[in-house]
Amino acid sequence: MQRAINNLGVVFFPAFDWAITPTHPERQERLLYTMDQLKEEGVFDVPGITEHKPQVADLEDIRRVHFCFPDTASNLTNSHLISAGGAIKSGDLYQKGLEDKSFALVRPPGHHAMKSVHGGRGFCNVNIEAIMVEYLREHYGVGKVAIVDTDCHHGDGTQNIYWHDPETLYISVHQDGRTLFPGSGFPGELGGPKAQGKNLNLPLPPETSDEGFLHVLNEVIMPVLEDFQPEMVINSAGQDNHFSDPLTNMNFSAQGYAQLNKVLNPDIAVLEGGYSIQGALPYVNLGIVLAMAGLDFDYVREPDFDPEAIRQSSKVTDHVKRISEMVRNHYFNPPDAQIRRDKKDNYFVRNQEIFYDTGFITERQKEYLLDCEHCRGILVIDSNSSKNKSCLGIEVPRGACEKCQEEGNRVFEESKVSGRYSNIQFINRIEGFVSRHSNT
Amino acid sequence: MILGVDVGGTHTDAVLLDHSGVVASAKVETLHEDLLSSVRNALEAIFSKTSPAQVEHFNLSTTLCTNAIIQNELEEVGVLVTAGPGMDPSYFKIGDNYQVVPGGLDHRGTEIKSLDLDFARQCLEDYYKRGIRVFSLVGKFSPRNPEHEKQLAEILQDKCEFCTQGHALSSQLNFPRRIATAYYNSAVWPIFNNFANSVTDSLSEKGLNPNLNILKADGGTMPLSQARGMPVESIFSGPAASIMGIKALCDMQEDALLLDIGGTTTDVAVFADGDPVIEAESVELKQYPTLVRAMKTNSVGVGGDTAVTLENGDLQIGPKRLGCCLAQGGAAPTLVDALNCVQELNHGDTRASQKGMQDLGDQIGISSEEVAERVVLDACKQIREQALQMLEEVNEKPVYTVHEFLEYKKVAPKKIYLMGGPAKVLAPYLSREFDLLPVIPDNYSVANALGAAMARSTYEVELLADTEKHNMSIAVLGVQENISGRYSLEQAKEDVRSHLLNYLNRTLQLCVSPDEIEFVEESAMNMVKGMYTVGQDIRVKSQIKPGIIPEYAEAARCVCKEQ
Repeated sequence: MQRAINNLGVVFFPAFDWAITPTHPERQERLLYTMDQLKEEGVFDVPGITEHKPQVADLEDIRRVHFCFPDTASNLTNSHLISAGGAIKSGDLYQKGLEDKSFALVRPPGHHAMKSVHGGRGFCNVNIEAIMVEYLREHYGVGKVAIVDTDCHHGDGTQNIYWHDPETLYISVHQDGRTLFPGSGFPGELGGPKAQGKNLNLPLPPETSDEGFLHVLNEVIMPVLEDFQPEMVINSAGQDNHFSDPLTNMNFSAQGYAQLNKVLNPDIAVLEGGYSIQGALPYVNLGIVLAMAGLDFDYVREPDFDPEAIRQSSKVTDHVKRISEMVRNHYFNPPDAQIRRDKKDNYFVRNQEIFYDTGFITERQKEYLLDCEHCRGILVIDSNSSKNKSCLGIEVPRGACEKCQEEGNRVFEESKVSGRYSNIQFINRIEGFVSRHSNT
Repeated sequence: MILGVDVGGTHTDAVLLDHSGVVASAKVETLHEDLLSSVRNALEAIFSKTSPAQVEHFNLSTTLCTNAIIQNELEEVGVLVTAGPGMDPSYFKIGDNYQVVPGGLDHRGTEIKSLDLDFARQCLEDYYKRGIRVFSLVGKFSPRNPEHEKQLAEILQDKCEFCTQGHALSSQLNFPRRIATAYYNSAVWPIFNNFANSVTDSLSEKGLNPNLNILKADGGTMPLSQARGMPVESIFSGPAASIMGIKALCDMQEDALLLDIGGTTTDVAVFADGDPVIEAESVELKQYPTLVRAMKTNSVGVGGDTAVTLENGDLQIGPKRLGCCLAQGGAAPTLVDALNCVQELNHGDTRASQKGMQDLGDQIGISSEEVAERVVLDACKQIREQALQMLEEVNEKPVYTVHEFLEYKKVAPKKIYLMGGPAKVLAPYLSREFDLLPVIPDNYSVANALGAAMARSTYEVELLADTEKHNMSIAVLGVQENISGRYSLEQAKEDVRSHLLNYLNRTLQLCVSPDEIEFVEESAMNMVKGMYTVGQDIRVKSQIKPGIIPEYAEAARCVCKEQ
């Protein structure tokens, strides 16, 4: 038997007893056939590929990342804690050097979960990649990280969490937001005032096939990564760009996914969406496992794979090329000068309205970022939702200066006393604690 | 009465039991070139003490197939595999005659490409020309649908003497292991079948006609008729025999470790609630992993003959072996010599041991007692470390549901069972090291033969039902039935139980009661297309776990008092 070139740890947790609702795409059966395929191929017998059991994430690991309202536990099920724990386990395996690479093949997914959480969005409650990244930063002092999201839906949650973080490069490749949930992810969304160009979106037109995906990979993603020089590359490995996916309109194949993974060469992959559970997932997941292990994946082909039938049109090709050029340029020359940002006192201000399609909740928030000349500045989110009124999140980020720490403490103390907020969460990443205050 | 024979590496042990206990036992030397004579000699020895009157069961554990594989005394096998999409099937090549026949099934067992039977015929023609007479036919996903393997079997001609079909071996999904298991099964068939014939002949000569069963690596038995079809299951039955023997001797109920301290290694086995832990995927044959179910055992490289040396002024225990102990005229001190000094092991020339420890002590400026003490403590530490690592492997076994994940009960040993020559002297040290009560069963020296004699049949099958396609199958038993769209998990459990009982009691003529069958995995998941549930995917795995023949459960109980 051939040995894996890279030692690969696969943290596999299919949660066979968990679903959003019985006929929801995010249901028990989702990874059943993936399991069958991986077991039948004997991948865990390949010398160098090891299956690992996830761990359970602590609530602390979630609180470090999210402002959860009214509290952390009520936004979660045990399954979320295990899937986040699976991502954390993957990170641990990699950081401890126990594996060269790791793949968290876990569910439920997380990339639509934003900084503040009032419920489920796009099948996600908490952001498992962000939980892993912040865990690794906390425990191993990891600095620059790149997250390349190849799910068909724009990872608006991950974008939102890292909007102001210049140390996290987030690149999302997805079906054009004009044609698919969540309707965002356009090239102009480039990150906050302190992280311009560290958030890149590559919206691709419907019916983009392998050729288009590999084009943006080679022409944009790889040169950008080369420039950014991250300590770690994470692939949010959603699999719904597949030509057989029932929820989307793309023409990506298992071969394409494996090829992408081989070129991207991520340290860690984390499963996101993908709902063609019989026709795509078994093959795409197998392709990713083999590619990460450095093994040949030539024979991994869907039974109904016909490259001619799903070849992209020249119109698509032209569009992909135009987008690529634009986005590449945005990274290397962020058009900051042209953007006027609203400010109140010394805070950048942004208003957002967020709809939670899974939980049917509407949230309105005002986001404040302190314009500090020494650090990225504290973040304050004033949030009201149809579920929880008057919530406040305050974050003293990693690397915050002393003034910002003081400011964070002051805002927290003041808001507690003011009585304006029913729920306050204070994340202090410098001192490594999270406090909550509730008026109810 | 029941008779057990364990043909081991050095000795062949035999024991004859009735309901009240051991009637006779014997130990003869194993003749490696002639295992049949070893069995005969053991039987002679038993029947020289008692008459061969009422032997109902004869269970045999033999290294025949293991040896044949290790020594490469294998029949040429013609292998045909059929793969479908996935990993390159040429990775899994085994033996000199391996062909991939175009065709394939998907993970649901649906045909995605029909078999190229013309190509298969050509391959077979070529195999026949080269004088090949045994075959292995293995399809990817054949436990989901054995049709392709069956099609290949149908085109085999009379020239075929024996053929293994992958789906008949195991319901476990693992194509590479299925290929290797099917290959070895056919490769050892001629040697096993001849042996089986000779053994039955010998028994008839003696006027015996017992139910003859062969011991498997999972500590269960299979009737000879079944063993002739799956001889590969008889490999590595030796350790299983000993483990079952300890289970027969002691009324085990708790989580425990079993340490069998031998000359070269200490073999560790794990018990969960008194049952030995079994792995569906464990046995490797010449670096080919197989589907032979086996008891989870690990060998720690510390035994009585482990050498004690000095490395840069530090005592080093193992991993070297430099021959037998000083007490038996060896050249270098060993663990046994240390044991001779710390307590009265009284093995051989204890003064030689004493002197060996003294010499080591002189070189590093400590007393001989201290050397011996350190050696013993370190040996115990090494055994413990590796035993704990093995426990962790058992406890880290992946689970796939939130419920199992949260309710998972870790194996936490309450006792250590010890056997082997140095067991008694090591007991207090191991006990302290593990912080567990040690138990040394009386009569552990016949444990292997007892285990062989008293083991009952084991079996594992999986039922799969797809209510959308309206079919249900138990591939290993060759069952395939139409079902209604309302077929339920409860019905599936009933079906698997009744089919298994029918097979065991009618076809194999065993006496298995329904309550011996337990369900180890069960699931029923909705299959959804679009927004609608179109059916259920139902899976039930059931087994008869290893155990002692119930009527004899008390026959060999010994005093297993804690030390």
